Amino acid sequence: MDERGDYLRVNTLIVAGRVAALGLLIATLALFYVYMYLGKKGREVQIRALPAMEAIPEAVGRAAEMGKPLMYTIGIGGGLSDASQGPQILASMSIMGYAARECIRSGVKMDAFIPVADALPLAEETLRTAFLAEGKVEEFSPDIVRFISGQSPYCTAVLGYLQRERPASNLLIGGFYYESVIIAEAGNTIGAIQIGGTNNTHQMPFLIATCDYMLLAEELFAAGAAIGKDPDVLGTIKGEDIMKMVLLVLTGVGFLLGFARVPFLIDILKV
Amino acid sequence: MSTLLKREVVYLITGVVAVTMFIDFFFFPKGWDVASTLQTWAMIIGNIALGLGAVRLLLFYGKQVQKRTVGVWHYSVWLIVYFFICLITGLAGYITLGHQDKNPIYYWNFTNVYTPLGQALYAMTGFYIFSAAYRAFRARNIDAALLLIAGCFTLLTNAPIGEVIWVQIPVIGRWFLDIGQVPGMRTFMIAGAFGLLAYGFRALLGKEKGFYAEVGGQ
Amino acid sequence: MTKQETILDKMQKIDRRILYWVLFIGLMIPFVSPLGLPVAVTPSTVDLYKELTKVKTGEVIIINLAFGVSAWSECLPATVASTKLLFKQGAKIIFLGVHYDVDLTWAKIKDQVPAFKTLTYGKNYVYLGFYTGGEATVARLATSIRTVFPTDADKKSLDEIEMMKNVNVAKDIKLVLSSDTGDWCDYYIRQWRVPYGTPVGEIGIAMLGSSYMPHYQAGILFGMTVGVRGGAELEKLIGELGEATVTMDSINISHVMAIVAIGLANLGYAATVKRGGK
Repeated sequence: MDERGDYLRVNTLIVAGRVAALGLLIATLALFYVYMYLGKKGREVQIRALPAMEAIPEAVGRAAEMGKPLMYTIGIGGGLSDASQGPQILASMSIMGYAARECIRSGVKMDAFIPVADALPLAEETLRTAFLAEGKVEEFSPDIVRFISGQSPYCTAVLGYLQRERPASNLLIGGFYYESVIIAEAGNTIGAIQIGGTNNTHQMPFLIATCDYMLLAEELFAAGAAIGKDPDVLGTIKGEDIMKMVLLVLTGVGFLLGFARVPFLIDILKV
Repeated sequence: MSTLLKREVVYLITGVVAVTMFIDFFFFPKGWDVASTLQTWAMIIGNIALGLGAVRLLLFYGKQVQKRTVGVWHYSVWLIVYFFICLITGLAGYITLGHQDKNPIYYWNFTNVYTPLGQALYAMTGFYIFSAAYRAFRARNIDAALLLIAGCFTLLTNAPIGEVIWVQIPVIGRWFLDIGQVPGMRTFMIAGAFGLLAYGFRALLGKEKGFYAEVGGQ
Repeated sequence: MTKQETILDKMQKIDRRILYWVLFIGLMIPFVSPLGLPVAVTPSTVDLYKELTKVKTGEVIIINLAFGVSAWSECLPATVASTKLLFKQGAKIIFLGVHYDVDLTWAKIKDQVPAFKTLTYGKNYVYLGFYTGGEATVARLATSIRTVFPTDADKKSLDEIEMMKNVNVAKDIKLVLSSDTGDWCDYYIRQWRVPYGTPVGEIGIAMLGSSYMPHYQAGILFGMTVGVRGGAELEKLIGELGEATVTMDSINISHVMAIVAIGLANLGYAATVKRGGK
């Protein structure tokens, strides 16, 4: 029996302290839905180009010219069920599928290092689907996906691979921890073109310093939408931007009210 | 059938779990234990996946040994041998003595081989950051020059020697951290959170390809 | 006709291996001749220290050991210093960890905190062992510790452990100290601090300093230490200098060498640009 009820204030329908959060969440989801609906109805949503996504064909082309493979890795993350790392792994799967299709079309070998055990079947299935989409399912082999458990063994395996195979391009997209700087700098040593992407704020500086292109924070999640350019999918990105404007206004109003020592907004948000 | 399993069943499970967790967090009906049970299941599934990973690892490196892949196969032999040493000694320790660490061979391997290697690799991070900073911190334009200046002050703020060089260095460094970096981090956190929310929404509506092991592109 | 490379051109293309050797040799200097520079204490560490000194005798604290042996140099000193301080305050501590090598970390902490020799297991402290499952497990811990840990690491039922008799949910815990290398503090913030108001403090590696500073400035974390320096600061505050203080010499050398290397590279770059090169 869950004991939270003993001391959470649950006298009302909604748990106390979470009403404002629920309101903001519903408003955000409603905005997403409205813009998705408008997108489906034909209203075009323009998003800026993501240089990192546009660099993927370039990276594949470089690998094709040099006759070298392309390495893709998603970082140690935490697992698919992790609230902050799981979505990064899933977003990375979208990008991996796209990169795989480009590789198959260009005849480039892709080697994927997946250190997260529960993402392994998803990675294999994504790559199998990529081969199927290109009509070359017989060329698919599960050996494209390499699993190494543990952060240090994973780092060592990738470092060894980079030194032996010397891939022309590295894609480091997903939930990274300290292995980001090791793998990316080793990639620089061999002169590979590198595309990074993570939502982990503590690793962004390292990937920015070592990669040629970068997907920062929300760009990682928007990349999947940017691939297909589905109007309804792009609508959610528009909804995100609108919500950010709303937060900006709230922050400004809160600042002014705080300056005037009026706690109204804080009290509302604490409900 | 495979499309049904890959898409519709995944879609259904995702929707049910999302709604359950939503209700649990915001409404918390008394006696509603489903969310807790689902969280426990998530833990168990994640751990079972390790077994799958182990099998894939053995299959891959077994093939390397079989093919005698140049430059790799001898490492693969060692990996497979070491894998089984750890597995057998760990299991022996767990079955006979109640904990894998109680097997002396397993414990010796863990403390004297695996642990120092892990520590050495983490120490390498410092060297890699050093070479990355040397390569990346070039004042190619105004933005890069400002980044360079901020970076130098931050480096010297973190080291006590900064205060010895000039007593104002930590003051300026703290200013860069508190006024420059922290608001920037907040921005990334908020933006990332919205991106995550939008991704989850798209996944729930079946619009996100990676979630269903589908591929985009033309 | 190729241009001859001057020393300034070469300064921006120094081989990595030379850089690594120079850094390695530089890091050996403090072992020969310690610098012993004083460490100024940052406000975040002071706040962590102050909050820990407010802990009363008998109050139960959780220390989450979310760092592996590879991060001992960064997280262990501050964790040891906090443990010493909390035992001095008379607190009862629950240790638990998320890495598979947490037993080694636990053994190291017991080795470095003399108080363990005089305190009683089960009465003053308890070690629950390894847990996995990320944020879901942290959420379960807040509602029922016994669901995640029916026994301690030695398979003894929690109901038989004296200090765990009336301790099972977040409200029974005075505060949580998360010593981690990743997102575990975020999990405790979301699943303990926000819903139940349990104070959370962070002992983190240097990489996490910038990520958790917004939380500290917003008052969500009651305090935090950052990396080796944070450990040295906490050692200074509790008056027992240890490993982190010794390591600060290496930090000094490495940071100065980094500045010198960057300076050389920029000097070379500026000279090349002035000459009309790239």
